[in-house]
Amino acid sequence: MKQQEFFSSRWMLIIATIGIAVGTGNIWRFSRVVAQNGGGSFLIPWVIFLLIWSVPLIIAEFAIGKSTRMGPVGAIAKIAGRKFGWMGAFIVFVSTAIMFYYSVVTGWCLRYFISALSGDLFRVDDHLAYWNDFTSSYEPLLFHFIAISLVAFVVLKGVTKGIETATKFLVPSLLIIIFILFVRAITLPNAIEGIKYFFTPDINVILDHKVWLNALTQNAWDTGAGWGLILVYAVYMRKKEDIPLNAALIGFGNNAISIIAGITIFSTVFALSLPAGQAGSVDAMTQVSQSGPANTGLTFIYLPLLFSKMTGSDTINIFFASIFFLALFFAAFTSLIAMIELSTRTMIDFGLHRKKAIKIVVVAGFFLGLPSAYNLNFLANQDWVWGVGLILSGAFIAFAVKQYGIDKFRTELINGYGSDIKIGKWYNYIIGILIPIQVVVLILWWLISSVSWDPEWWNPFHVENAGTAIFQWAIVLVFFIAFNKYIVAKTLNSNLD
Amino acid sequence: MEISTIITMVLVLGIVWGGLAFFLMRAIKYEKIKSKNGKK
Repeated sequence: MKQQEFFSSRWMLIIATIGIAVGTGNIWRFSRVVAQNGGGSFLIPWVIFLLIWSVPLIIAEFAIGKSTRMGPVGAIAKIAGRKFGWMGAFIVFVSTAIMFYYSVVTGWCLRYFISALSGDLFRVDDHLAYWNDFTSSYEPLLFHFIAISLVAFVVLKGVTKGIETATKFLVPSLLIIIFILFVRAITLPNAIEGIKYFFTPDINVILDHKVWLNALTQNAWDTGAGWGLILVYAVYMRKKEDIPLNAALIGFGNNAISIIAGITIFSTVFALSLPAGQAGSVDAMTQVSQSGPANTGLTFIYLPLLFSKMTGSDTINIFFASIFFLALFFAAFTSLIAMIELSTRTMIDFGLHRKKAIKIVVVAGFFLGLPSAYNLNFLANQDWVWGVGLILSGAFIAFAVKQYGIDKFRTELINGYGSDIKIGKWYNYIIGILIPIQVVVLILWWLISSVSWDPEWWNPFHVENAGTAIFQWAIVLVFFIAFNKYIVAKTLNSNLD
Repeated sequence: MEISTIITMVLVLGIVWGGLAFFLMRAIKYEKIKSKNGKK
């Protein structure tokens, strides 16, 4: 199948890919993880892992997608060999399983934007009860349906008319909104206390291995490295497009936005929380680090309360709360576009037409997202299982590069035609040594630590433990390994002409 | 503000935002060269 659609320019490719990387994880997950891991102490390892995990994997994804012009199944089969096509299928499955519940989360953001805009959110006394009423009603289903339908409409129009047009509007709007919120937050009285906490390191905390592992996890989750999403967008990059510089721009751009979002959240929480000891006061740090069900506590329960106290004017408070939830919705929406495009592209590679592929993906996405829309425990389980599964996806991408020959991969595919800057031999050591070490340490740590919080760690029906993750990965891996020959043959044969 | 806070701030912002600005400038420069050369 000849590649017919391309991103129209380097800048459109970068904007669309920034849309993948910047999601709700930059805004609510990043702030929570920083708070739980000692503020400034967390930021140092977080920057290091940007350099030794995110950027190298983004470079690999760009090179694989650009050279093979196929989604992960065909791409991994071409790069690593036909017998490893199941690794590509696993990468697709992990991101697709995340898509099922991410559409529900996108719907929440839309619903809260509407609530904020209508002023409904400020007529509430108990924000926890408001959140519980919402999640136990039919509304999450409705908004999940709206979110996935809107994304389907965008993806259906194709790369240039759909994805490019939508991200051209959404990503700059998201950045402008984040900047407005940032300026407002840092000009609030007492905001400096939040900024101080955000940047103050504690030498004892820096030496804690958990902080380093959380920093790696955050990088793995929020830059989009290793998800297969950037690989799919790279399928649509022009031949003359550069890889290393674009990859660096996306990794650094994503983390730069996380910093802005983090400063905004910390300044707001420290400025608007009542001082300790005062009636009704709550510890600001407890609120930032309080995860709530599926990490929702800060965003959907505490921040609406803070927005209502921002100024004496309801109109101004409504404005800032509305644009905050609109930013969240845009961030989630642009990431969801890439997740749906990943599944769609895989089915196109399988021989289906785009229209039919999208219909199947959206119908499956809606129905398989329903359990997460109904039940927050189910959503938390899927977030745990496939969140950790992303580390395996990253490992499979590094493995594919190793199978191809890291030096050959670097000199031919990364430093080949179109490259503006050349990548040196350091890349071989990162992909060949550092990434495998990070994968083994990270997965073992997650699984072993889950044993300590669940005595029945082996039980596959618990929400978050080793048993449920291993059980679900095993089912998926056994299935794809068993059908590897058929999946790879069908994918590669459909693309021979 | 403590000295360690200022050092961390400079380090983190310098690497992340400095890195972003550096790569952005390089990308703009190479795009200009490519458009001048009409490289296809």
